[in-house]
Amino acid sequence: MNSRAFRRSAAAVAAFSATAIVLAGCAGGAGDSPSADSDEKITLTLATFNDFGYDDELLQEYMDENPNITIVHNKAAISQDARTNFFAKLGKEGLADIEAVEVDWFTEAMQYSDLLAEVPDSAKGRWLEWKEAAATDPDGRLVGFGTDIGPQAICYRADLFAAAGLPSTPDEVAALFDGDWNNYFDVADQYKAATGKPMIDSAHSVFQGMVNQIEFPYDEPDGTVVATDNPELEDAYNAVVERAIPNSAYAAQWSDDWNASMANGEFASMLCPAWMLGIIEGNAPEVTGWEVANAFPNGGGNWGGSYLTVPANGKNVEAALALADWLTSAATQEKTFVNAGQYPSVIEAQSSPAIVDSTNAYFNDAPTGTIFGERSEAVTVNTYKSVDFIKYNQALQDAITRVFDGLEDQQTAWDTYVAEVEAF
Amino acid sequence: MTATDTRATTSPDSPAQKTERTPRHIMSFSNRLSRWDLKVSPYLYISPFFILFVIVGLFPIAYTAVISFQEWDLVRNTGTFVGLDQYIWILSQEQFWVALRNTFSIFILSSVPQIILALFIAAMLDRNIRAKTFWRMSVLLPFVMAPVAVALIFSNLFGDNHGLVNTVLTNIGLPAIPWHKDPFWSHIAIATMVNFRWTGYNALILLAAMQAVPREYYEAATVDGANAFRQFWSITLPSLRPTLIFVIITSTIGGLQIFDEPRMYDQNGNGGADQQWLTITLYLYKIGWGEFNFGRAAALAWILFLIIMVIGLINLAITRRLVRDEGGRGVVRQRRRLRKGAHK
Amino acid sequence: MSAISTPPLAVVEENLPNDRRRRRGERTTRIRGTRAGFWVYLGLAVVIVAAIFPYYWSFLIGSGDASTLNDPNMSWIPGGNFIANAITVMNNPAVNFWPALWNSIFSSTVIAASVVVFSTLAGWAFAKLRFRGSKGLLIFVVATLAVPTQLGVVPLYILFSDLGWTGQIGAIIVPALTSAFGVFWMTQYLSQTVPDELIEAARVDGASMLRTFWTVGVVAARPAAAMLFLFTFVGAWNQFFWPFIVLDRQSPTLPVALSLLQSNYFVDYSIVLAGVLLATIPLLILFAFAGKQLVSGIMAGAVKG
Repeated sequence: MNSRAFRRSAAAVAAFSATAIVLAGCAGGAGDSPSADSDEKITLTLATFNDFGYDDELLQEYMDENPNITIVHNKAAISQDARTNFFAKLGKEGLADIEAVEVDWFTEAMQYSDLLAEVPDSAKGRWLEWKEAAATDPDGRLVGFGTDIGPQAICYRADLFAAAGLPSTPDEVAALFDGDWNNYFDVADQYKAATGKPMIDSAHSVFQGMVNQIEFPYDEPDGTVVATDNPELEDAYNAVVERAIPNSAYAAQWSDDWNASMANGEFASMLCPAWMLGIIEGNAPEVTGWEVANAFPNGGGNWGGSYLTVPANGKNVEAALALADWLTSAATQEKTFVNAGQYPSVIEAQSSPAIVDSTNAYFNDAPTGTIFGERSEAVTVNTYKSVDFIKYNQALQDAITRVFDGLEDQQTAWDTYVAEVEAF
Repeated sequence: MTATDTRATTSPDSPAQKTERTPRHIMSFSNRLSRWDLKVSPYLYISPFFILFVIVGLFPIAYTAVISFQEWDLVRNTGTFVGLDQYIWILSQEQFWVALRNTFSIFILSSVPQIILALFIAAMLDRNIRAKTFWRMSVLLPFVMAPVAVALIFSNLFGDNHGLVNTVLTNIGLPAIPWHKDPFWSHIAIATMVNFRWTGYNALILLAAMQAVPREYYEAATVDGANAFRQFWSITLPSLRPTLIFVIITSTIGGLQIFDEPRMYDQNGNGGADQQWLTITLYLYKIGWGEFNFGRAAALAWILFLIIMVIGLINLAITRRLVRDEGGRGVVRQRRRLRKGAHK
Repeated sequence: MSAISTPPLAVVEENLPNDRRRRRGERTTRIRGTRAGFWVYLGLAVVIVAAIFPYYWSFLIGSGDASTLNDPNMSWIPGGNFIANAITVMNNPAVNFWPALWNSIFSSTVIAASVVVFSTLAGWAFAKLRFRGSKGLLIFVVATLAVPTQLGVVPLYILFSDLGWTGQIGAIIVPALTSAFGVFWMTQYLSQTVPDELIEAARVDGASMLRTFWTVGVVAARPAAAMLFLFTFVGAWNQFFWPFIVLDRQSPTLPVALSLLQSNYFVDYSIVLAGVLLATIPLLILFAFAGKQLVSGIMAGAVKG
């Protein structure tokens, strides 16, 4: 291309970009006109993450019943992205009509409960008491529709257990693990003695199991911080370091290696909440030895769970509240359990036949409905998770990782954690 | 092969010639226009850039500056003035100093090899090779790769247990390296990721500049008996001075702001359980988007700004010292003398 | 930042690039000795292998299935699934692949073109025109590069939501129309490669500022402009955070759309990498075109036109 042609094309490019800029601006300006009165077509946006079990069929049902409503379902890839998006836009424009919030960052969201619309009285009372209480702000407004909870049981590899000389049928294993954490670790020691490999998937999952059984691990509702001198917490830390770490394949979960281990047998059991079943199946589709045992150290624990919230400054708050109501009704929660393993938080749904009788084919037809129902009833403690819970928990998890990796010893890691907490 | 610009309008009575004959206090209109043109056009040339820049570039920076002195609530968009408290908090955090150490370490491990390698690659590409476009564009391929793919590849390469590098090491009898546990090795791995991405980019920048060096200089030098290295040192480098300054400054700024690579280094994105590879911008992101404490994060941003300014000025001074602005004077001067004698 | 001392025009006139000489059938001796030797090609080959290997590896994974990534005995021959995986990506309802592809192409092109135009203008002024405050302004502009941008997303978002532009492609394009980096680059390049004598010659012949810019500056800037276009395009193409915040899921850009293939829990990397490679193809096409621009010489253009 000679210079003349180049300059001509340079001029063309300049003209083009100028035009495009103007057009882009115009396109930006020609926004959305506000919708008129009710009975007009309304489009509701629903923002979730991971998999809430709201598939197209389910949403189509609602749209059929309410022909003037169109639902647009946006799924964020990961919960952290949803969180970033939520807090960047809360109070401003841009949030969906219904936003899903995970329990981990729900307390953070509760600080701004005045920016969320209140759940209609007709819907109140349907959820587990502690689930509803956690979503009620100090003024008594309930601002979250509970979706799922995560009652935990123990998933294990029957084939690996059998090879280690341990009992391997679900009933036997349930009896084996029935007890407290020391019992759990004893079994892990047994497994290691027999096979030389760790039984537990990760130190963090054990830690999570223990923390979720402490009522006030890091701080108390009145603001007192007990993160550094809570004896229960320290006991949990010591137990994890002394007994779980030697028996764990990894420090933390969710790494690619950890995902791969579900298939290649580097660990033989993991604490699993209801939503974990789909993950195991996805990571190890060929393996047939996974089973669910109806047991948990100290009875039960809850891990996870989410809420649906309706931002108060949305364009269609009424319609959004109605949709959220429907999505978290007993009937719908039965369906999402079947779709995605989301164990319901609505009391009525928990006792419905659809749930109680359901089984999971991948886990050799384990009666997962009953199992998680019983584990859910065994949950006695509702852990208080303040705004700072994530910070403290992360710091202590890091301490455990440091010990696991051999970077610091038990006492030093704890001291570092204490120093970090005091700096907050 | 005439030199004169054939495109410039040369009219017999050009205004320029006219001015030589007219007394100064009588200025023709076109002359005044020309003076006005000279004075005002620079501002016109930079104004499109500056207008947009003020709105979308300066505005966020000003915002960051203002909230760094406040206890800022992201959601309610309000804050209370706290003076320098946020700055003091940052400077008193051990994690800040660890992050600073990490940032410098990764910066040096990445920039220095990168620039040297880029110069080397550019020199190779500058030579008379076949299929120039292919070689030159291939060098840019790593720059194009999406971050998620880069993260995946390098975490597989540098995995502690099953990574390719460790597998090779153990196969030849050396101990496996704790890539995700030891700070130094994690810096090496991250610096490798950074170098992978940016070396080709810098090489092409230097290449573009190298191509602009008049070949006469090299011919003259060859005639005078200078070898390749001498030519490179005395001709290429000094001619590249403005571009070298550019590369060094942008590498400094970019290197001290490294964010994507440390973040992708493990699945948590927090810089390691012991902050082994936590860089300053990653720390900033943790405070800002992890804890939503924007006031503190803003203070950290400005502290980083100051650090970059200082290091940038130091690097600039070093570059100016090392690379003289003589344009290969010694060699070319002789050549000019020769040419002038032989010129028809 | 001053121009290198340049030889008088008498020497400049002889400074033609070698390919033009060759075209006229003259024998040429390239400066640095003769043809590049074996070692140069070897060195370049090593560089190329290092550059291409990750693509090949991605292709290996992308042509396998979910278990390929973790398979310790992964073969070095690609599997047969690439097309199937790519089709899965394109049909995935959450990903909105085709709107995302178009958005990325459109926005990256406009951004790159605009940055090149504005940066060349401003760079020319800073490099070759004398005006009060030029040095200070340039330093100021470069200094702004040193402020981290992770927090800037919030005030930008507030600005654009007040304008009502959230979810519009304009919100991606407008903030990126100018680039301090681009201005800095063109400034340095033009100050290095355009000798003042050329400008004086043009001025003496009565050219106005605009004319001088058009005939000398724009022509001299061509390789640098092509480079800047490429870099800016790629940078805009791979940008994630701001499009993630400001666009909605129905019409995202490609990186945001592809990120939806991941999840907190189970990720099928063969699909993800197939998607990533798909997203790279337009860039490779761009490379093939733009590469040509970087090859030819500059001075000749300024002198001969």
